[in-house]
Amino acid sequence: MKRFFSSDFFYDFMRSPVALVSFLIVLFLILSAVFAGIIAPTNPFDAASLNLMNGFTPPMEPNLFTGDVFWMGTDDQGRDLFSAILYGLRISLFVGAMAVALATVMGVLLGLIAGYMGGWLDNLIMRFADIQMTFPSILVAMLIFGVARGILPPELRDEMAITVLIVSIGLSEWVPFARTVRGSTLVEKEKEYIAAARLIGLNRWQIMIRHILPNVLNPVLVIATITLALAIIAEATLSFLGVGAPRTEPSLGTLIRVGQDFLFSGEWWILLFPASTLLALALSVNLFGDWLRDKLNPRLK
Amino acid sequence: MSFITAKNLTRHYDLSDPWIVRQLTFRPKRFLTAVNDVSFSVEKGTTYALVGESGSGKSTIAKMAVGLLAPSAGTITLDNHNLNDPNLSPQNQQAMRRRIQMVFQSPYASLNPRWRVGDILAEPIQSFDLIQGAKNQAKRVDELLEQVGLSPRDAKKYPHEFSGGQRQRISIARALSSQPEVIICDEPTSALDVSVQAQVLNLLKSLQKEFSLTYLFITHDLAVVSSVANRIGVLNKGALVEEASPKDIFTNPKQDYTRMLLNAAPKML
Amino acid sequence: MTQPLLEVKNISVEFKTRGGALKAIDDLSIDVQPGEILGLVGESGAGKSMMGAAILGLIDPPGRLSKGEIWFKGRRIDQNPETLRGCEISMIFQDPLVSLNPLKKIGDQLVETILRHKQMSRAQAIDRARKGLIEVGIDPERLNAYPHTFSGGMRQRVVIALALAPEPSLIIADEPTTALDVSVQAQILELLKKLCRGRGTSIILITHDMGVISETADRVGVLYSGRLAEIGSTNQVLKSSKHPYTQGLVASTPKIDPASFGQSLYQIPGSMPKLDAIPTGCAFHPRCTREIEKCSQERPPMMKNTAACWLLEGTRQGI
Repeated sequence: MKRFFSSDFFYDFMRSPVALVSFLIVLFLILSAVFAGIIAPTNPFDAASLNLMNGFTPPMEPNLFTGDVFWMGTDDQGRDLFSAILYGLRISLFVGAMAVALATVMGVLLGLIAGYMGGWLDNLIMRFADIQMTFPSILVAMLIFGVARGILPPELRDEMAITVLIVSIGLSEWVPFARTVRGSTLVEKEKEYIAAARLIGLNRWQIMIRHILPNVLNPVLVIATITLALAIIAEATLSFLGVGAPRTEPSLGTLIRVGQDFLFSGEWWILLFPASTLLALALSVNLFGDWLRDKLNPRLK
Repeated sequence: MSFITAKNLTRHYDLSDPWIVRQLTFRPKRFLTAVNDVSFSVEKGTTYALVGESGSGKSTIAKMAVGLLAPSAGTITLDNHNLNDPNLSPQNQQAMRRRIQMVFQSPYASLNPRWRVGDILAEPIQSFDLIQGAKNQAKRVDELLEQVGLSPRDAKKYPHEFSGGQRQRISIARALSSQPEVIICDEPTSALDVSVQAQVLNLLKSLQKEFSLTYLFITHDLAVVSSVANRIGVLNKGALVEEASPKDIFTNPKQDYTRMLLNAAPKML
Repeated sequence: MTQPLLEVKNISVEFKTRGGALKAIDDLSIDVQPGEILGLVGESGAGKSMMGAAILGLIDPPGRLSKGEIWFKGRRIDQNPETLRGCEISMIFQDPLVSLNPLKKIGDQLVETILRHKQMSRAQAIDRARKGLIEVGIDPERLNAYPHTFSGGMRQRVVIALALAPEPSLIIADEPTTALDVSVQAQILELLKKLCRGRGTSIILITHDMGVISETADRVGVLYSGRLAEIGSTNQVLKSSKHPYTQGLVASTPKIDPASFGQSLYQIPGSMPKLDAIPTGCAFHPRCTREIEKCSQERPPMMKNTAACWLLEGTRQGI
């Protein structure tokens, strides 16, 4: 821990305004989401607490009927937008993080196997990756989502929506991980410490996991960060299109979809606030990922 | 008594175009013969040097000796056991591996940069199941470090904290950890500075004496070989062209290629 | 004494790091005479490649030439070295694989270099390029070949042709033969010697290989920790070295010599200090078997134009 704080990396981090600001924003948003239960003034998904009369209240203005003030206004059903955004952030972040985790594990493993074992297995995995990459990842996600929905019985659909969302986004993003890890594996495979490992009788899996894996993980962190931004946007897109998080458990994308319907009738806040939050999140994650990539790159000597 | 014996050792590489290209263009299969019918024998406790330029096949022979590469024909045996025998059971294979280890050329690529030195040295001990218990293993690691002129404190460090010469010492310590009888040295000092080279060569020599090791020493540098070898074999494009004691090779070379090598080597005044 | 071609006066090359400035070269002075082959020998980290880079102004930040002057043919050049680069002073690097552009035919690379520095028509340049190839022993018909079709030694010959094309007065050769086989190495060194003697071009030959120095250089400078430890004629420095480091280096070089068979090599104890841990006084003193008290206190200047060692003090001063 101490080594990290006195390292060059941390030093540069503290000196880069982009890195600091984007990191702080992301941290702030994550903490807001984690503590949503405590911070949010209302629980927007408790149907009993909703008062339809509160609907369409503009931000910071007392409601015409009930006199309640809402920081960011309310939506058509009287939900406090501020609370909805906090809970929506939770879903967006959760889905994003889990999808990236899935993509990382799958991509790294497949990349390792393809790179180290080579031969027909390598070919198979890489051609599969090539085919998948010809489709935009959103379409792939929608495809998987649609198939899953078709398989699942209707009662489970809403419940499983989040899981299916995670799986479909995760499965659409594994390829960059696999390709990068495969490339690094091909390089490391030829190095003499791998030969030394073979000389003491280690089998292929032991060599792959114990020796090669630690040395190919460097670029993975950067790819994961950038993929997180992509996953968040992907989830928002799917939800916006109506094929993602349902209204009962809305993510930021769902909220944007709802808000879009009311934009031109004057209730601008229902769209603006969720959209700005999404923008802030995705932008900060992206910027941090970019900074990370530049920082880690020349040091990869 | 020959301890390491190479008999008609041969290795081909198939460089042919893919089948379909060959069918369409009627090209024949092409092979590269990296090692061509090489035979030599090494006495126990001595150092046999294989000298050759790049492409001579010396590294290929080293890999075959250690079991990393299978010969296309011929055998290379250690104490009459053949490491490349496909019928060898895993236990026997492991037992054979224990007896023969290797020190590599590159000090930078031969140690896993993400592992601590102590773990690198402990791995063979664990893999060959030589010593049980973490404490005893750590003691052995300390012992190995001291044998190569480093200190037990170095076990906690990472390879990049060491210089090239020190890294080669760690490599040597790793090779020693399984208490082998044979060490194949594949150009162990080619990447090192002159003064460091001297230290490493002297270390190898003293270890040989202490542990009765047999060395197969691969190099392109004739001068280095003169201070370490008991016997020298000269390789040219995969074939063993001359074999003699250092004195004979240097004072009375019989083959043109050997003479050429001697003449080309930069001489100190 | 004729005026030296290149005069390096008290240069220092520093790198700025978080911990302070590290000196890769520390107050170094050396001359190159016209038509001579000067060897710069030292181990890794001694600063010899840095020297070559410093002369041509090729040091990238965070490094910089923090002190001193470099004079070439009577003009000061350290402020604006770009004008001379490739033209009056050429460079040959170690790895022929990366010195040549793999996507361009060698003929094109040669012609491009010639036209950059000399005024002539393209046809004349092509003719010059052919002559250049013949000089280095390559069939001029290969003008249209790509670098990857040549072997390592042949590529290095092409690089030499490239370096000689603008007819420079000085060539800096940084480990030109280290990546080559022994037999090819000998040929390349012979070629360099022959061509440069013929044209009166000076060479700074940077290497870690004493044998190469002994066969090729007229004079040699020994570098240690960014400082010049010893300088003199090759014969003198190798056969009757004055600085303990040089003596150790020569003694630990393996030789093809029947007398040394089976003998252990002499080894200099310890290793070259890292840049952030250079000892006070003489940089070599912790490893020196003959150090005296003064060695750890004050850095020795170059004594008698031969070696930077306190042991030479007290003997008669003067040139």
